[in-house]
Amino acid sequence: MSHMKEQVPTLIMGTLLIVYGLIVQSGALMPLTKYLHTHKTLDLQVTMTLIIGGIAIAGALVNAVRKPGNSNLDTFILQPLGGIVLILVMAMAIRWYAEPLMKIVSTNLQPILGFKIYKVLNLNYVVLGILAGVVLTNTWGIPKFAAPGVKCARFVLKMGVIMLGARYSFAELAKLGVYSVFLVGFFVLGIVFLVLWLGNIFKQPKSMTGVLSAGMGVCGVSATVAVAPVVKAKSAEMAYTIGTILSFGIICMFVFPTIGKLAGMSPVQFGAWAGTGILNSAQVAAAALAFNAVDIETLKVAEIFNITRVLFLPVIVLVLATWFGKETGQKLSFKSVVIDKFPVFIIGFLILFFLSSIGLFSPPSHYKGKYIDVSYNDRTQVTNEEWETLSSAAATGAFASLTPKQLEAVTNLIEHRQIAGNYEDRNDKKVFDRVGRARMTQLEGILAAAKAKQITLSADVKSAIKHAVKQVHKKSKTVVTLTDFMIWFFAFGLIGLGMQITKKAITQAGGWPIVMGVIAGVTKATLSFFVVLWLIKDVVLN
Amino acid sequence: MFTNILLCSHGTEGAKKAEVFVFGKLEADPGLRVTVLTVLDEDWREMTGDDWLNSSKTHTTFLDHVEEQMNEEIAEHWHRIKKDHPLAEGVKFLQRTGNIAETITKTAKELKCDLIVIGSWQKRPKFSIHSTGMSLRATMKNKELHPLLPCPLLIAP
Repeated sequence: MSHMKEQVPTLIMGTLLIVYGLIVQSGALMPLTKYLHTHKTLDLQVTMTLIIGGIAIAGALVNAVRKPGNSNLDTFILQPLGGIVLILVMAMAIRWYAEPLMKIVSTNLQPILGFKIYKVLNLNYVVLGILAGVVLTNTWGIPKFAAPGVKCARFVLKMGVIMLGARYSFAELAKLGVYSVFLVGFFVLGIVFLVLWLGNIFKQPKSMTGVLSAGMGVCGVSATVAVAPVVKAKSAEMAYTIGTILSFGIICMFVFPTIGKLAGMSPVQFGAWAGTGILNSAQVAAAALAFNAVDIETLKVAEIFNITRVLFLPVIVLVLATWFGKETGQKLSFKSVVIDKFPVFIIGFLILFFLSSIGLFSPPSHYKGKYIDVSYNDRTQVTNEEWETLSSAAATGAFASLTPKQLEAVTNLIEHRQIAGNYEDRNDKKVFDRVGRARMTQLEGILAAAKAKQITLSADVKSAIKHAVKQVHKKSKTVVTLTDFMIWFFAFGLIGLGMQITKKAITQAGGWPIVMGVIAGVTKATLSFFVVLWLIKDVVLN
Repeated sequence: MFTNILLCSHGTEGAKKAEVFVFGKLEADPGLRVTVLTVLDEDWREMTGDDWLNSSKTHTTFLDHVEEQMNEEIAEHWHRIKKDHPLAEGVKFLQRTGNIAETITKTAKELKCDLIVIGSWQKRPKFSIHSTGMSLRATMKNKELHPLLPCPLLIAP
């Protein structure tokens, strides 16, 4: 036990998680969780806290006995264990407490402020997670025991994207792929050349404009990191470019979802806009989940655009190397530009996509819509906007013409924000499923009656009910499980990346880079907004 | 009065004034011991921000480039000092990496210096990035440096 002292924080977190899990299991937190509307996640809370708490204690004890070595288990699990557990604790606290509390406080403050803070700033668990990471790293700093774990965030986020691969069909990928290649290609090259031109106008060194053009045009800090050695950027140039991109990206993360909602963008349109207009790839994922964290349509589109941008990176490195090398005589090999810069995780994404497409995760019957999931989970909920539409429709008597059974199904949908069985039957899966499916049938009946003009409902109400029904139709349990893991992976990854956004890096923003950066960034965001609204109208995702 | 001076310089306009002050003193008192210290801020390691897309190979290449670049810039910086102040040829030059305040005070203790000289804060020209030398825009805070001081600190005006 010679290394016990270093393991104390992990042991404490593990013990607290187990104690928390046991308290939840005893039912003592039921009133609190009902107040927070998180009581439907209690089973998940018990499972997650007991498993993670157990792993934390066991791992910390192993680390206390022997210092982690160089094996894969040591490098990927035991060494970063403290940081991994810390980020998971933060993710759980945010999803189960901070986000619901934020909604309740925002709703209570609405009469005074005239708006809901969480809606305007899109303060869902994703944005709150990034903010928590940024605040922690810039106040107390990342605790020493957590530092190796925080670095895992990059890997975990890549795993999230790989798992997302299972959610695309050939048709979706083909259609989104065409749009993304067209849009990203146009804007990446356009902005790269715009910045190079601005650099010429403002008489900035070639290394400065080279590194800034890649950052502004392709994928933010990632492109800066890839291009800086090629254009021989100086230290101050790299620092100013990264500072400018991080500052601009954080503003975009908050502003984009709000503008998207105000403009009435569809998930596909917003995903395309965020994937084109936001500089930093991590903030694209954050903005997509901020726009719609309930289902993952927006994320699916945004990530395709993100991946397309990354695939353009070697091309841009090649263009800038040629442009820069004209003066310096520098020559780069195909390997150092294309092969070394190729993001290997995209191969993982394509493998999951391929396996999913050939039906490996789903029996054929699932593709016919026979698998219906009416269990309690966030994934099958309607969005906040849809819930508000249904609530106000109910309050104004819009459902007066429904049958009692249809009305009961709608009332239950509003109460639980999803189609589900009765809460008290949750331990009897057969009864719970039967009631849930019956409610779904009633809701489908409402849609059929509205279509036959037997009843009149507004388009928004019909769309909300349609979405609720769609939410419970699932392709495959494997795909659903992958999706659940993926959402936690994204939450984990984005909290960890938030921890790597330091005040010191942000405060580097200034000088000509920020002037050129703002011109290029605003141009890209504005033009892509109008192009996306004009171009993308008819892509339907499953 | 002082016999062993640690001159901290990383090429900013303020640091240049500190250089003029110290080498002026050296001219007046050739027996004075002077060490020029340039600290490479450890926060450069965190400069990859929230990049997650690149492979570890690209990350390593970037960090190698940063290191190479900083070494080149420090070499240029020392060359400029020697050019501006011929007396600098006879003094010791040191490069350290770490937290700036901690590294300055630790080095002063190690070399048994009796005076630390740093430049004063200077307003930067609005639209120039190269006036900052190789420093990061975020500057060292007095409240971090002062509690650690092992000897008097002089801020050259």
